[in-house]
Amino acid sequence: MKKLYIIGAAACLLSACHPNVKVTPNPTKGNANFTTYLAVGNSLTAGYADGSLYLSGQLNSYPERLFEQFQSVGSDGKFIQPLLKTDFGFPGPKFIMAVTTHCDGSTSLGPAPYAGHIDTTGNIEHVSGHINNIGVPGIRIADYDVASYATIAYYGGGAPYAYRFYNNVAGTPQDELIYRVNDLQPTFFTCWLGANDVLGYATSGGQGNGDGTAVPLGANLYANGDITPDSVFKHLYDAAVTVLINNGAKGVLINIPDVTSIPYFTAIPAKGLILRQGQADTLNAIYAGHATFVAGANYFVITDHDGHIRNAFPNELIMLTTPQDSLLCAGWGSVKPIPAAYVLDQGEIQNAQKATAFFNSVIKDEAAKHNLVYVDMNAYLKTLSSGITFGGVTYTAQFVTGGAFSLDGVHLTPRGYALAANQIINSINAFYHSTIPTIDVNKYDGVKFP
Amino acid sequence: MKKHLLAASLLLCSAISYGGGYQLNLQGLRELAMGGTGTASTADASTIFYNPAGISRLKGIEASASILFIMPTTGYSNAQGYSATTKSQTFTPFNIYVGGPLREGSKVGVGIGIYTPFGSGTTWDDNWSGKFLVQSIYLQSVFIQPTISYRVSDFLSVGGGFIYAFGKIDYKEALPVQFDNGQDGQAHLHGNANGVGFNLGVHLKVASTLQIGFTYRSQVNMNVGAGHADFNVPASLQSSFPNTTFDSQLPLPQIASLGISYRPIDALTLQFDLNYTGWNSYDSLRFNFATNTSALQNEHAPRHYHNTLTPRLGACVKVSKMLSLMVGGAYDPTPTTQGYISPELPDADRLVLTGGIAFKPIPRLTILAAFEGVISSKRFASYDYGNYSGTYQTKAATPGIGINYNF
Repeated sequence: MKKLYIIGAAACLLSACHPNVKVTPNPTKGNANFTTYLAVGNSLTAGYADGSLYLSGQLNSYPERLFEQFQSVGSDGKFIQPLLKTDFGFPGPKFIMAVTTHCDGSTSLGPAPYAGHIDTTGNIEHVSGHINNIGVPGIRIADYDVASYATIAYYGGGAPYAYRFYNNVAGTPQDELIYRVNDLQPTFFTCWLGANDVLGYATSGGQGNGDGTAVPLGANLYANGDITPDSVFKHLYDAAVTVLINNGAKGVLINIPDVTSIPYFTAIPAKGLILRQGQADTLNAIYAGHATFVAGANYFVITDHDGHIRNAFPNELIMLTTPQDSLLCAGWGSVKPIPAAYVLDQGEIQNAQKATAFFNSVIKDEAAKHNLVYVDMNAYLKTLSSGITFGGVTYTAQFVTGGAFSLDGVHLTPRGYALAANQIINSINAFYHSTIPTIDVNKYDGVKFP
Repeated sequence: MKKHLLAASLLLCSAISYGGGYQLNLQGLRELAMGGTGTASTADASTIFYNPAGISRLKGIEASASILFIMPTTGYSNAQGYSATTKSQTFTPFNIYVGGPLREGSKVGVGIGIYTPFGSGTTWDDNWSGKFLVQSIYLQSVFIQPTISYRVSDFLSVGGGFIYAFGKIDYKEALPVQFDNGQDGQAHLHGNANGVGFNLGVHLKVASTLQIGFTYRSQVNMNVGAGHADFNVPASLQSSFPNTTFDSQLPLPQIASLGISYRPIDALTLQFDLNYTGWNSYDSLRFNFATNTSALQNEHAPRHYHNTLTPRLGACVKVSKMLSLMVGGAYDPTPTTQGYISPELPDADRLVLTGGIAFKPIPRLTILAAFEGVISSKRFASYDYGNYSGTYQTKAATPGIGINYNF
């Protein structure tokens, strides 16, 4: 009798014992219309990562993440990207983490090109039909007025990414934009353009024209290593935005990151030359005062923009692409200076930062003028240097270990792109009074290790 | 990708989490059934825990034992529309007490208690959204308390016990380093803990119908001396996450209690207890690995617990010589501080409701059954240190059975 009573009491309480905390979020679109979404941009928009474009990278692009969130606020359920068929990298192989043996016999764990067979079957097939993500790796605002952008010889016999899906390969990127806007009739867009207008200069070690006075090689085509002149940038950026808003679409303009905050330029420290006393004495004798050395950590010897051979200054940047074997075995940075093409010296950094500041002011002005969302991605990515914590994981701008930047030191990991997408969503929500849910960043991949 | 390893906090936390005031609730069925009250009553040998002064008041040597079945569940959801629930698990804390006056009429009572004030755990899905903070936590502990009591007069008795505590912990969390196939790494921390403390009590028999009790249970620092820290990480990172040992110290807080037991009529006993718990000793969590690397650093995570005051009420109705019914309840406020609430302990204010039955088929033997339901308020909790937040709710159903025998 008593036993029955207890079991009865237990049973009724047990059934009530399941916590129900389900919060049903109620996403709202606010003052915007997310029915049809068009993403415009460069490699960051295409989902480029690990030094290449590949299928899973595209599927983890920030526009794909945004589209997934827009589905709760009235998207038409379609988001077509010009997907590749395989995951090896196009046209070259992507980087993977691997143990590399160096010239001096030492080994290290780091990014290395995928060395296996690369299956590119179907990757160059032309993609036709509606496309919602027209991000083209490598494209600059300066390119928007270049006819036959997808095919001209300057880009190595054609810009392979544009060539894959451009409707009219003889047209300019601006023509393509006009076509895509007419074809898709987007109600909402994101535009993250402009980074390559300064990045090409930086990644060439500041070898091109950096003071804004570059002249075209011909037919509106600027050299890849030049910084796009201010007036050209302003004119062509404005023209692109004008097309995007033509049908009354609302959208987002995203500014460009400061190149000095990305691992491509910070992974190799300028003060990375470790010497014993004897080595320091030898180098002091060789350089006879042009460069000085002590036992311990020293600033690498570089050739600066003006051809001077000297120790790098504390804030100068050595590029990630500086050959490791040359540093280890060929005396680069010590008995031989690191060539200027691998160094961003003080003056070059100033040029890059000045251009970045101007381009970002143009982007901000355009957003204000057309009543669009302005996302200060530059400021957000800078906060990575002190760490952005999400769900117990702290992401930083450290190369490989930071988790946010992919193995090329410029582009992001799927988690990094998800962080960027959240930043965009927060900006959209604030501007349009929408309540689009943010993304669980840690659900996606970071850097994978062997 | 510095990882916030927080294991140690967990030890305490799950216990607090599901014991609903672990310090009193489950150490005796009669007390449990009456809302966890018992500081003023000397009903049976479980007084060794509830008020050591009570042993010298017992009529003779008594033995009490019970076993309980805790079934805690915690639910989580966040603004992104994600929700998760912990896996169903059953834990079985138990207690055994033997004690009483040395001989009939003796002023000195002795006894020993073995009880398990912690014995619970939480298991989330390995891939749940808080996986980098906790995947699972399990804690087991046993307290042994030899006790002596002296009856100064009919009015006053005092008592005290020494506590030796031992137990083990097991904790898992994902590490943000991925294998080639996308699987996350994992930290598995497990080891033994022990500590010492004491339990003091004063019991006043103001009148035949009114009893008052005071107890003080000391802090018990549970030391984890050389726990095992095992890391499942990609081969290329094994030197960054070497399998090593860790040590930690977990303060189980001091508790001062006041209890009043009043019998307005023969058939009815009313009890009121108040527990003041010194949670502020759990200010932060330090967690030291024997081997550190750039990826594996010692942890110092703030917790900022604050002291709590828990009122408890209980009633016992004597239906017949053979049968008594008990009910009770308690309001157990959370010691946590907003901004410092990690999913290993998504604690919130708790409402505790209890009931039970005592059946006495023969004069020397009592069979007890009790039930406790713990419901925490739904609470939005944030853990700023790990930037993780959401709405949590914990419920726990705890049935138990036991016996008491008078020798």
